[in-house]
Amino acid sequence: MIQFFHVYKSFGSENPALIDVSLTIEKGEFVFVTGPSGAGKTTLLKIIFCAERPTSGYVLVNGRNLTRIKDKELSLLRRRTGMVFQDFKLLPNRTVFENVALALEIMGAPFSVIRKRVHQTLKYLDLGGKEDYRPPQLSGGEQQRVAIARAIINSPLILLADEPTGNLDQDLTVEIMALLKRIHIRGTTVIVATHNQELLKGTRRRVVTLNKGRVA
Amino acid sequence: MRGTLLRYSMRRALANMSENRLVHLIGIGTMAIAFLIFDAFLLVFLNINYWIEEQGSSLTMSIYFTGDPDKAAVETVSKELLQYPGVTINEFISKSDAMENLKRRLGDKAGLLDGLEGNPLPASLEITLSKGKIEDFPKQLKARLEMLEAVDEVQYSHEWVEKIQAVMGAVKLIGIIFGGLLFLAALFIIINTIKLAIYSRHDEVEILKLVGATNRFVKAPFLIEGSIQGFLGGVTAIVILLLGYLVAITRIDLRIGFASFDIVFLSPQFILLLLLMSIIVGFLGSMISLSRFFRI
Repeated sequence: MIQFFHVYKSFGSENPALIDVSLTIEKGEFVFVTGPSGAGKTTLLKIIFCAERPTSGYVLVNGRNLTRIKDKELSLLRRRTGMVFQDFKLLPNRTVFENVALALEIMGAPFSVIRKRVHQTLKYLDLGGKEDYRPPQLSGGEQQRVAIARAIINSPLILLADEPTGNLDQDLTVEIMALLKRIHIRGTTVIVATHNQELLKGTRRRVVTLNKGRVA
Repeated sequence: MRGTLLRYSMRRALANMSENRLVHLIGIGTMAIAFLIFDAFLLVFLNINYWIEEQGSSLTMSIYFTGDPDKAAVETVSKELLQYPGVTINEFISKSDAMENLKRRLGDKAGLLDGLEGNPLPASLEITLSKGKIEDFPKQLKARLEMLEAVDEVQYSHEWVEKIQAVMGAVKLIGIIFGGLLFLAALFIIINTIKLAIYSRHDEVEILKLVGATNRFVKAPFLIEGSIQGFLGGVTAIVILLLGYLVAITRIDLRIGFASFDIVFLSPQFILLLLLMSIIVGFLGSMISLSRFFRI
């Protein structure tokens, strides 16, 4: 499903973010990408999400070469790939409903469909009744769940989560990880970038470790 | 899809305008000032043009006599005039009639004339030339009449209409330059207002792009915002101009006491055209602003 072939990425001449990364992630896999800060985890996810382009090498997602993707195709690709950010990236002046509905509105879905899907997704993530709240009125865990709701409402094939528990306490971390596992069980390929070694303890999932831009 | 996009964009544009009221109000106000100057200039220009056309369509001529003409002298001139078709003699105004007319027009200031020795006003024959006469005819007639011994001078309304028409060429040129500059000023204002709006909603634009919104989807609310701002700026300018016009005509009527020069307001078609232009300026300004932003 996702293939990296000798991918290099550098920002300016110094400190390359990724060096000769080659890896394959199969459809339906749950993969942790780990490593210390600055190891290149976020850059790896951003390349899959097309927020960054490789300096050299190439990346295939579902057979599409991302290094040659045109701007017009970018939006279509992102609709099929959900992304969860450490800082949630929610719009603070819009309600929970509006934040989640955004992912369907951009596709031109009719309001009746939007309403039904948003309510279903919020209920699935235990956010029923929070529709009219604004993000600043919610706890960190709830905000992250809203971000996840927005990422999965289009039933994406791939869900990328960049330090999804980075801002959360232990209880909420467990809660969010359980949620990501539930989404994985539905058939979604899930890739979680984390520097939290606690999350990886005893896991049977595949772990890709990055160190100074290289796969260790 | 298109209907949903339009509904969404309209809703977002209105919500954004209400959230950032102050920025938008300043934008609308500044645009209204630019449009107002433009509209006011247009109003003056159109009125002068209208007045010239009005004057040009009825051509009157005054034939001034040397001294105090006797009946025979007036008849000689009248006979000369009647040789030409399309000439109508309206009235003969004697020296004393001319003085009476002037006194009447001066009203309570007529006393100023008491100090005059004798009557300096000439006697005249007022005539009208029918429309459709060849352009040189008034000039030829004036030359022929001025050759007569009894005639001192001949004046016709077209003479100074022609002079103003010559000046209007320059006024038109100034108008085009001035109008163009104001158009650019309004455009510049809207570009900057929308730029501010984009910067203030930078996070929103970023998030929209991250969840897979197309450029069209992100840009549409800004384009609608710009058009609405342009429209509101245009409407404000027209309303202020109309109020100014109403005040002006009332004052002029009070001071002069009679309408010597009718000031007409912009026709509904012109108003529609100006509003359409305001919308276009708003839309265009947003587009320029967005193209700079989305080039990245």
